[in-house]
Amino acid sequence: MIDDLYFIEKHAYKTSIIHRLDARVKLLVTLAAIVAIIAMPYSTKVYELGAVLFALVVVLWACSRLSPAVYIRRLALIMPFGIFLIGFQMFVKNPYYDVFHPIAALPFGIEVYAESVQFASILLVKFIVSISFIILLSSTTRMQDLLEASGRLGLPREFLLPLGMMVRYIFVFADMFGKIRSAMDTRCFDPLDRTLPYRYRLRQLGYTVGMIFIRSYEQGERTYTSMLCRGYGENACLHTGRKPLRAGEVSFFAGSLALIVLSTVLIYLHP
Amino acid sequence: MHIPDFMFPVAQGLVYWVIALIFIVLALRWARHSMGEEKVPLVAVLAAGIFAIQALNIPIPWGTSGHMVGAALAAIVLGSPFAGVFVLTLVLLVQGVIFGDGGIIAMGANIINMGVIGGFVGYYGYVAIMGVTKNSYAAAFIAGWASLFLSAILCAVELAIAGTFPLVLGLTFMGGYHAVIGLIEGGITAVALYLIASARPDILEHPRAVST
Repeated sequence: MIDDLYFIEKHAYKTSIIHRLDARVKLLVTLAAIVAIIAMPYSTKVYELGAVLFALVVVLWACSRLSPAVYIRRLALIMPFGIFLIGFQMFVKNPYYDVFHPIAALPFGIEVYAESVQFASILLVKFIVSISFIILLSSTTRMQDLLEASGRLGLPREFLLPLGMMVRYIFVFADMFGKIRSAMDTRCFDPLDRTLPYRYRLRQLGYTVGMIFIRSYEQGERTYTSMLCRGYGENACLHTGRKPLRAGEVSFFAGSLALIVLSTVLIYLHP
Repeated sequence: MHIPDFMFPVAQGLVYWVIALIFIVLALRWARHSMGEEKVPLVAVLAAGIFAIQALNIPIPWGTSGHMVGAALAAIVLGSPFAGVFVLTLVLLVQGVIFGDGGIIAMGANIINMGVIGGFVGYYGYVAIMGVTKNSYAAAFIAGWASLFLSAILCAVELAIAGTFPLVLGLTFMGGYHAVIGLIEGGITAVALYLIASARPDILEHPRAVST
């Protein structure tokens, strides 16, 4: 995951109409879309809402002028654990259906049910839509902008400052992580190399974890000292100046929110 | 163990968020009073380090790889379960919003599973076992294992309540899998604690309790 940090941020620094949108607008639209698709009960209505919301992602992605390959690469990295959970559903019953009809019988008494397959597909739609909005948000918004947007939206200052510092320093540790891996490669040490004794590999990894811990603590000490030199104190906070939304941003926000809310309500109420 | 959004109905996700928020507020209070408000940046940078630690591929005996959670290690070294809550909340927030690893609505549950359970079981498990065995590394090993195993058990229970994963299968698969990789979490926690106690004993909240 840490390898993709620069990949994600590189795309977030590009420019397009979506990149230039205020981060607050993108954050709220993303949250609204995720809440809408997750709040839709586990029924086939999820397909319809999923289609509407995915179409919105596709349009916004096209406006962002990012390659579809970026989206596919990021989706492929996130998918495995979700796909495992979804795939598993096909072989078990769940409380959302009353009757289950077997459509295939597998060895060891395992059966595949039509209703379970449908449930799995509903989960898949929910997964893809919610993840797509997150990918769109983080691929078109710089982390610093997201942080400032969170502050303007009311995230308490007690949380904003540590979060800001963490976001700043994960890049430092991504570099450090790369150097650690290079050092391991230089010494021909691969933690997954099964020809090496398992205990030896674990001990080396334990030392590496301890070393990263100490280095991050020492980095924290240096940061704290340098912040003290610049006047940091008990009441310090991350300054986020006022930034009024432009008319276009307000219109986009209102339009997107209306689309999400109306489509959710209409699809939910439609018999 | 990062639960995605689609595994929970919204209402349940919000309930877990409320519980998680209580612990987050308590963790902030701990950071302010126990560490001194001015030292909050130190823990924040440490969270970035835990983020990197979670990126390390840890070999699992049957051929795949996993990763550490690190809440128990943070809690043991900094001497408070709230250290685990604080650090893991920051890490999970970045993982969820930037990387899509773990959901937004499910983040409350993820914070409870990994931060709260990891931190509390890790720290109090360590203290309790230390009291009995007087061996800091055995205590760190068992506490690290228990923190991951109990997180997985709670995760299975939450998914069963949500109706998206049967309880018995969840407990069997998630419990069984994490009972094994918990040994690795425990082992690495103990080795990392040894290294920290040897190289920077002043970092440890209770350095005398750890023999080198």
